[in-house]
Amino acid sequence: MPETGSTVSMHELNTAPAATMPVVELRDLHKSFGALEVLKGISLSVGEGQVVSLIGSSGSGKSTLLRCINMLEVPDQGDVLIDGEAIKLRGSAQARQIADESQIRRIRSELGMVFQSFNLWAHMTVLQNVMEAPLIVQGRQRAEVEAEARAMLDKVGIGSKTDAYPSQLSGGQQQRAAIARALCINPRVMLFDEPTSALDPELEVEVLRVIKVLADEGRSMVLVTHDMEFARSVSDRVVFLHQGLIEEEGTPDEVFGSTKSARLRQFLNAANHEEQRHT
Amino acid sequence: MTDDIAFWLSYLTNGKHLTWYASFQFTIFAALMGGALAVLFGLAGATARNARFLPLRVLGTIYSSIVRGVPDVLFFLFFPLAFEQGVEWLVATQVCSPAMVAAQTAAWPPCREANWILGTPEYLMLASVSLGIVYGAFATNVIHGALRSVPLGQLEAARAYGMSSRQVLWHIHIRQMWVYALPGLSNVWMLIIKATSLLSLLQIADIVLWADRLGAPNFLPAVGLVHADWRWRYYLVLFVFYILVTWLSERVFEAIMRRVGKGILSEAHA
Repeated sequence: MPETGSTVSMHELNTAPAATMPVVELRDLHKSFGALEVLKGISLSVGEGQVVSLIGSSGSGKSTLLRCINMLEVPDQGDVLIDGEAIKLRGSAQARQIADESQIRRIRSELGMVFQSFNLWAHMTVLQNVMEAPLIVQGRQRAEVEAEARAMLDKVGIGSKTDAYPSQLSGGQQQRAAIARALCINPRVMLFDEPTSALDPELEVEVLRVIKVLADEGRSMVLVTHDMEFARSVSDRVVFLHQGLIEEEGTPDEVFGSTKSARLRQFLNAANHEEQRHT
Repeated sequence: MTDDIAFWLSYLTNGKHLTWYASFQFTIFAALMGGALAVLFGLAGATARNARFLPLRVLGTIYSSIVRGVPDVLFFLFFPLAFEQGVEWLVATQVCSPAMVAAQTAAWPPCREANWILGTPEYLMLASVSLGIVYGAFATNVIHGALRSVPLGQLEAARAYGMSSRQVLWHIHIRQMWVYALPGLSNVWMLIIKATSLLSLLQIADIVLWADRLGAPNFLPAVGLVHADWRWRYYLVLFVFYILVTWLSERVFEAIMRRVGKGILSEAHA
């Protein structure tokens, strides 16, 4: 019997990924900073192998929403489930905090976060940066981790920079090193928080290319971005946030092609102008 | 000429001078031990000041703000004495019988069996601890500031990758803190070196005490006046010693800075 069970789920996975258990599920998230309500009740799920992009103007809550997934921000209300497992929280409203330290450490060690400002550890070489979490958090063997780290750095195209310190690299190289660091923990989901916003346009390309490769490999990803062109090309689903709520979501074609919301149309027009000014 | 050399050689290697040379070890030991303890107290104080637990935070703040203002000379006199009598009082409560107390004629300790006689090694330890406590308050302040200079994003990244608060503290936070703390800590170290000249206050026959004794006008009934007041010459030797120590310390701090600053300081500094 278990065999048929697994065949069925494989079948489901191939035909309708969204129908299986979501890798990330957010249920009715609320978050305020002081009196400012940033998230006003957001539910979202990311299926296995899906790429979900969060778009919206500054202050729409997209980064906060992403940071709730690994509890860098603890939501005042609502639940976050990773692979169906709810992250345990205690207290309520703004006093809410993580209830189970070992659970959150285990879950975080499977979420590969990439930050806008890279946040590589400055006192370590690129290779050490990539190896640090697998070694001290996941407790894996050094030789195995080093081989994998070198492979990941090759993959993102900076295999020759393993012994450099982050400060010796360009922004694009640093961000690719940060992506390798995220990959090396074998994440269930990659979380990208505006990965190219701190980069010059010519460096942006090399990072976007890497992210595109990962998306095409079928990795589950949540991506916060300002780059509409990229969101369109890489996403399975695009979510438009406006003032802490989901204003519109759907496939890239639905969201960018047949826009229903006036606000989204306005936002896309503005973004379009912005892009033309840059090019 | 050869007579002169022979005289000076024998004069500078007589027993008292050899004792003087040996006493440099006390100064060096007190500085190194005091310095190590100051860093240790500084780390403890700074992490206490950052603690989530309120009483610990208050304790850390009180330590760094109050103790910094205590004159080192005063604390040097106060702490060893208070510690010695405290230990004696503790021992007395366990050891002294009424008969022993009755037999005791002096005012302190309560009974003779509780008397704790301190020698140079004990005083040296107490002196180092005193230095550690006083200058640890400065180090607390320095390290507290340095901990706040480490970019928050890097700590956040460490947490995002599943490190426990202890791992974040030791692998990222404290490791990077040194770069920002070292300039301040090198100041504290210089102050500690200077404060080692106070060792004689604790009845330790240190370099200052010996320089004083050897330099004083020396009069022997059989020979007459051996030499007049030569103290300034002996003090001059101490100056040279302290300047050498300062120079050496600078070199060592530069080397440490190069090491911990790798990747953080720009190439020009490294």
